[in-house]
Amino acid sequence: MVWKLLAVAVIVVGILAAFNRVPLKYTLRNLTVRWKTIVLTALAFTLVIGVLVVMLAFVNGMRKMTEGTGRTDNVLVLADGATDESFSNLNAGDLAEMEALPEVQRDPETGRPLASRETYLIVNQPLPNAPSKGPQRRFLQTRGIEDPRIAAKVHGVELLPGGSWFSEAGVQEMPDGGPPAIQAVLGEGVARELASDRTPQQRAAAKTPHRLDVGETFKIGDRTWVVTGIMKSSGTTFGSEIWAKQSLIGPLFGKSGYTTLLLRAKDADTAKKLKDFLTNDYAKVAVNARIEREHYADMSETSAQFAWAIGFVTVIMAIGGVFGVMNTMFAAISQRIKDIGVLRLLGYARRHILVSFLLESLVIALVGGLLGCALGSLADGVTASSMVTGHSGGGKFVVMELAVDAWVWAVGIFLTLVMGVIGGLAPALSAMRLRPLEALR
Amino acid sequence: MKILGLILKNIGRNPLRSILTALGTMVLVFVVTMVWSVLWVLDLITAEKQENLKAIVTERWSIPSRLPFAYAAPISDGAVRQPGDIRPDDSMTWQFYLGSLDPKNLTRDSFIFAIACEPDKLGRIENGKFVTMMDGLESLSPKDQAALLEAIDRLKANRQGIILGYNHLANINRMTGDVRDVNIDQLMGKRIKLFGIGGYKGLDLEFEIVGVFPAGRYDNLGAFHRDYFNNALDQYPQTHGGRKHLLADRNLNLVWLKVPNMAAYNRVSAQIDQSPSFQDPAVKCETASSGMAAFLEPLRDLIWGARYVLAPACLITLSLVIANAISISVRERRPELAVMKVLGFRPAQILWLVLGESLLLGAGAGLASAALTYGVINWYFDGLRFPIGFLDRFYIPINALGWGAMIGAVAALVGSFVPAWTARSVKPAEVFAKVA
Repeated sequence: MVWKLLAVAVIVVGILAAFNRVPLKYTLRNLTVRWKTIVLTALAFTLVIGVLVVMLAFVNGMRKMTEGTGRTDNVLVLADGATDESFSNLNAGDLAEMEALPEVQRDPETGRPLASRETYLIVNQPLPNAPSKGPQRRFLQTRGIEDPRIAAKVHGVELLPGGSWFSEAGVQEMPDGGPPAIQAVLGEGVARELASDRTPQQRAAAKTPHRLDVGETFKIGDRTWVVTGIMKSSGTTFGSEIWAKQSLIGPLFGKSGYTTLLLRAKDADTAKKLKDFLTNDYAKVAVNARIEREHYADMSETSAQFAWAIGFVTVIMAIGGVFGVMNTMFAAISQRIKDIGVLRLLGYARRHILVSFLLESLVIALVGGLLGCALGSLADGVTASSMVTGHSGGGKFVVMELAVDAWVWAVGIFLTLVMGVIGGLAPALSAMRLRPLEALR
Repeated sequence: MKILGLILKNIGRNPLRSILTALGTMVLVFVVTMVWSVLWVLDLITAEKQENLKAIVTERWSIPSRLPFAYAAPISDGAVRQPGDIRPDDSMTWQFYLGSLDPKNLTRDSFIFAIACEPDKLGRIENGKFVTMMDGLESLSPKDQAALLEAIDRLKANRQGIILGYNHLANINRMTGDVRDVNIDQLMGKRIKLFGIGGYKGLDLEFEIVGVFPAGRYDNLGAFHRDYFNNALDQYPQTHGGRKHLLADRNLNLVWLKVPNMAAYNRVSAQIDQSPSFQDPAVKCETASSGMAAFLEPLRDLIWGARYVLAPACLITLSLVIANAISISVRERRPELAVMKVLGFRPAQILWLVLGESLLLGAGAGLASAALTYGVINWYFDGLRFPIGFLDRFYIPINALGWGAMIGAVAALVGSFVPAWTARSVKPAEVFAKVA
């Protein structure tokens, strides 16, 4: 849609340029003569478009995260009626039969079903070194995994070099001789988030300054947790999760049962058949089965809500910018009334005057808008925390990356052109209507 | 007075430019007013109170918090064990219930999220004063207060009664297709059945609508009698082969406590933290504002962006729009300014003439914009609908009128200072030489 609109806008500008008979040099020279006013107007455009690009990058990052999480050949099984993992309670006795279904793929090495039993928990962590004013704790998303290697295969998640999955016991002795620490694998986003708790000394000594790394520890509850690996999870909601041994952390946080069963099918078609079978024909127990990719893609309500708010705010800001460019163009016309008269006497038609002033307004807008896009692009890759929620309730706290891509630029440039045309149209029409002799008088 | 007259004359001299500048100011002040109104509410609910504050007791380590109902009485009592321990002034238990009006269509529009609670904690008259444990219901209009008290009376009398939020009523209305607009009187007494979802699967409850929460904070919340909820959980095994419901032992979600001051809060909080009665699961006691701040923590970057990027960007854009208009105006009036200097106007007077023109335009447009925003958002749209966490809609505070005028004035001052200084420095000889 945006691309089509941008194409239309570019075509309109192209037509204007093609119809332009007044030398472009004259238009550009006029811009340099009134450079202070032009710079002020262009700067207003730069700000409006720059803010738009940053806000769109936020929404784009959220959208990419929810759409990029999960696989189309995985089936996510939740308890019947549960729309989100945090509300789900699966009966452990029902899971083995589902895992044994023929549609579920088997691990070629071990022959075991590619199925992962998991417990998803949202845990309260008191913030270390929290300032007296402001939040004293944060929510951490923790996933209890039964077998990390199988889970990694089913989720298609790999570790960054130097890391390893937690052991069968899920704990390890610490050098200080204290109670054994819980081994955990972190997503890249949560590793960055937890690194913000480091003291300056810890930060100075850390081998990876921007995130926790293998061997570092953190505290949740009364226990120390030690990082054994960092997941390659940038751009997915798993990047905001902590994975640890299910049998340890389930009971620790009061949820011994499973919330989720993830089943890997041979391909997307088989996964759909498996989902349909579990939803409609599976007689043993009623469950809510969904294609994993669809489950996460559905968590787009927050981004839709933000997109709406951003659109609204941007349009209002853009209107402000349009008034600015109108002022500039009306002033330009009042200064150049005699020029317009001369141009008309030289034989330029009214439409040529209109096009010339419209192009002038568009040049101001484009210079400011392109600068704004460039400025806003600096936000690309910046991490931010947010929430994603689904249309049917539930949601996740996520650490995501702002994403400026061609689509964001297209929206920015489209809005720039629209603002330029709207801002320049009324002044250009007034210039067009001037009569040559009256203008010269 | 003479200067003021000149300022007004100058504003009226180029009405198109003045109108465009005022309109630019108005739309940008509109954005800032809305952003600041949302931030103002968020700051207000996360600010620590020193007196008459509320504490919230929840499960210590995980959310959603699920506590045994046996915790309700001792926590409501502040876990008093020894002489000298402090009891809270008031308390309220919340047991969450999530049901769908349509078991086959599990979308947000069919959901009703409700709390099972003690009805008189929603609101009652005590010593001639309206007392409530629900934030935001303390300062209702007499009409809304009377309507709520009547609904609470009906809820006390009818254990299957439910008070719903406005959005719930709108959804029920939409689903039944009776009328286009929500007619509260028509929905009163209507019976609904909710099919438990998520953790409440199998716990289907029938209700009779007995009232509606005043519009605003509780548009998405229902409230019903906790005895009805607990009875339903107790009777669940009779219809389910003797099996207890999954939440039978963990259905208390949180307890609100009201304490007179921070010292009392610290005592009560310590009593609860140190109580041996709350070990499995462990509980935590925190001020309501701290609890709210934790829920808003995931949105901190968004809030930061609105506060330190969006609002300042609007203000700078506004300053640029005003600077542009005023500098054009000064440039066009250079001969006139030179004449004024020859006539004896001092540079400071010229400076104030330009600054005054800009200030008057900026402050006036800002005030008008804020007043319009206040009226349109609060009265016409009944608040700004922007669900963030547990908040659904935001109202523009009356302070916004002051913000509007101030934003317009400051942006005008910043934007017009350089043009005004240029005007002050106009040299008559240079100007007349050019004219000649």
